[in-house]
Amino acid sequence: MQSFPTYWDRTWFEPFRQHLEQDSGWATWEGFQLAVEATEALIVPHFDTLLSLQQIRGFKPLPHQIEVVRKVTGEMRGRAILADEVGLGKTIEAGLILKEYLIRGLVKNALILVPSSLVLQWTRELQQKFQIPAMAQKKAWMWDQYPILVASMDTAKREPHRNFILNKNYDILIVDEAHKLKNNRTKNWQFINEIKKKYCLLLTATPMQNELKELYNLVTLLKPGQLGKQSHFQSEYMAGKRKAKNEEKLRTEIQSVLIRNRRQDHNLQMSKRIVKTVLIELSPAERALYDEVSRFVRSQSNQEKDLKNMLSLLVLQKEVCSSRDAVFHTLFKLFQQKEHGKESLSPEIAHLIQLLRQVNYSSKVEKAVELITSIPEKVVIFTEFRATQEMLIRELTREGITAVPFRGGFNRNKKDWMMELFQKRAQVLVATEAGGEGINLQFCHHMINYDMPWNPMRVEQRIGRIHRLGQTNDVYIYNFATKQTIEEHIIWLLHEKIQLFESVIGELEMILESLGKEESLEQHLMQIMTQTENDEELRHHLHQWGEKFSQTRQAVAQKEELLYGTSQGKIHH
Amino acid sequence: MEQAKVRSITEQYLQTQGCHILESTPTYIKTQLSIEADKDLLNRPLYWMYVEKMSLPPQPARFCFLFDEKVQLDGERGEHLFFGSPRFTQILHSAQKKGRFVRLYQQPTGWQRDSTSKPYYPWLAINYRVSYICDKKKEQLRYLGINLYNGDLYEPFYPTIRHLNWTPKLPPRRHLLEARLTLAEAVGEAEYYLQESLEQEDAAWATEAAKRLKYEWEQLDAYYPEPSKRSPEENEEWKQRRYELAWQYQPRIEVDVANAGLFYMETASLDHLKH
Repeated sequence: MQSFPTYWDRTWFEPFRQHLEQDSGWATWEGFQLAVEATEALIVPHFDTLLSLQQIRGFKPLPHQIEVVRKVTGEMRGRAILADEVGLGKTIEAGLILKEYLIRGLVKNALILVPSSLVLQWTRELQQKFQIPAMAQKKAWMWDQYPILVASMDTAKREPHRNFILNKNYDILIVDEAHKLKNNRTKNWQFINEIKKKYCLLLTATPMQNELKELYNLVTLLKPGQLGKQSHFQSEYMAGKRKAKNEEKLRTEIQSVLIRNRRQDHNLQMSKRIVKTVLIELSPAERALYDEVSRFVRSQSNQEKDLKNMLSLLVLQKEVCSSRDAVFHTLFKLFQQKEHGKESLSPEIAHLIQLLRQVNYSSKVEKAVELITSIPEKVVIFTEFRATQEMLIRELTREGITAVPFRGGFNRNKKDWMMELFQKRAQVLVATEAGGEGINLQFCHHMINYDMPWNPMRVEQRIGRIHRLGQTNDVYIYNFATKQTIEEHIIWLLHEKIQLFESVIGELEMILESLGKEESLEQHLMQIMTQTENDEELRHHLHQWGEKFSQTRQAVAQKEELLYGTSQGKIHH
Repeated sequence: MEQAKVRSITEQYLQTQGCHILESTPTYIKTQLSIEADKDLLNRPLYWMYVEKMSLPPQPARFCFLFDEKVQLDGERGEHLFFGSPRFTQILHSAQKKGRFVRLYQQPTGWQRDSTSKPYYPWLAINYRVSYICDKKKEQLRYLGINLYNGDLYEPFYPTIRHLNWTPKLPPRRHLLEARLTLAEAVGEAEYYLQESLEQEDAAWATEAAKRLKYEWEQLDAYYPEPSKRSPEENEEWKQRRYELAWQYQPRIEVDVANAGLFYMETASLDHLKH
């Protein structure tokens, strides 16, 4: 006897009987045969073969991505945490899993919750890469109108949206940036917990940032009971807030719901990175401006209590390494704030402006032109400042070099258009924004860091635009460093001390997170800079920070290994 | 699926749907869609509602189907087709819908000397789609045929008779034997037969899914406080989670009918047609 039910759909019978009664409305023999052929084409013949792979065009998923799809739809049965390192393609894995379930008819409606800045990118990717008819949720009425919606987490958890969502049963729920769900007391966690769902994918590159409890909360959200009650988890697996015990058992539990691919575990054919520091001598006028601005920043910041003004000073210090135009912009704003209501300029500012006027030539631009002319290929230049960007476009064009701008603020069409111009017509792309909305510049393999962000994450994001899976050429990275300026020190720190450029630091985000919760690295560096008397002392402080970074890096790597093993389930020693 | 197959299905579809082929090259087909095909493929219900409400002359669209990724459209309405593209899936679905039911008569075979009328046996063909579902799914097509005259059941019916010639009109000097089974009785027979056959199958997949469900339920029960100590909210949540697990894992078979037809044939048995 069969121990499970058989459901018969008999809705076909009545229409068939009516056709017969009226002896009309019949299909032709050819139509009937074609219908059978169509049915045969759409049939799902096996439980475990991946049908999605035959139904995508224009890109080839990588072996580790296919393996993830197989594992999630197979032994993990549709509930999993996808925790690949940044850049290994979590979105592609999620898209493929969704596609597989859609083809199989196991998913008919889906909700995809992502940070608001990624809603359009996700929607486009699902549509274009996977031909999945996903819509970006914009209005409340859309909840009931479209089966596959991409929505911003922040919108979704608020009324009236929340109510729409909680009244539905979702065949699959996908949450991107799921490390925002590490605390079970937050609205986010509770909201996701309340959603009715069959399958569920949580995507994050950092499933655990600090405490073991975060991992517990994430797994419990996915599958309540997987790691037992909280008290059980604490006594069984926690030796301290951040320290685990019974690691082997814990690792087995975690590996049954979490997949983490790391670059080091796979022979992911990444091309090489070739890093060059390009030293630049400032002209006397530039030097005078640099010295004076640095002095100004130092004196101001030591008496400044207001954080906002501190930040402007930080920006100013960075700008003076970038371009005269950028300095002018900020100086002008600073002046407006400070000097408001005064009749005339303070002598200090007036002096700076005086010095600024005397800079009529940029050593960096000269170097850039020289370099670009010597590379007969496409180059992307990154700068942090819009004023520098505009100046660069102007100057390069004057030199007969075709250059187009790219900014985060451009709308989608303009972005696409600029990318196309760069690919087809221009030699140089001058970009201010690296993260956020995805730009993929695999067709280019030279990049210039015209000025250097003080935040390693942003540097990595820049490199990630051209050095990613699928880049076939070796990638050349030119770091512009003006001699005897803070820039030179920063590049020394990032390049020599923490080896940011040579290879991808997979755990970068986690390291930085554990290093300093209270303040950003940028502010920390600013502090070091304004409080040290000379270069030697500055070096010393930077060196110390670098040491701390290396230690944290080791600790993070150990923790990783402990918790997740390698993706093959083995442990390397 | 090969692109050649995608193309041949598309061509057959356009033909059966009465679409006019304007231009056909190795890389694309330009076509004037029929009204029916336009309605099924181009997702513009508002246009069709408007045309019908206002009794305007309908203008189905021209459309270009491209079969080569490298070839680009030249400002025309159209799309690349491949297995997995939404438009091709629409074509398949439309083909299924339009070819669901038939009533056909066998073309007489051989030369007939005398003028006496020959009898035709009525067969009900049902193409069942059987879906085995738990957290995974597989499907199988079962082509049954029931002889309405003598109650014989034949499987696989459709693949066996598809090489014969069929016509929508009863040929001359042929007459139909009266069915002794009603339609409803025949369907009952078919379902009974299919159910029996399903019960004979290896159900390891279902056993495993049921076991997994039980395990997951137990894990869940252990996570929540004992029933007597649960708050009403906790109890609601627990019930919801249990329901989700059942939804995910509960093994079941769903059977629906892909298409069906009445076929009138010269013979009472199909055995001689077996390959």
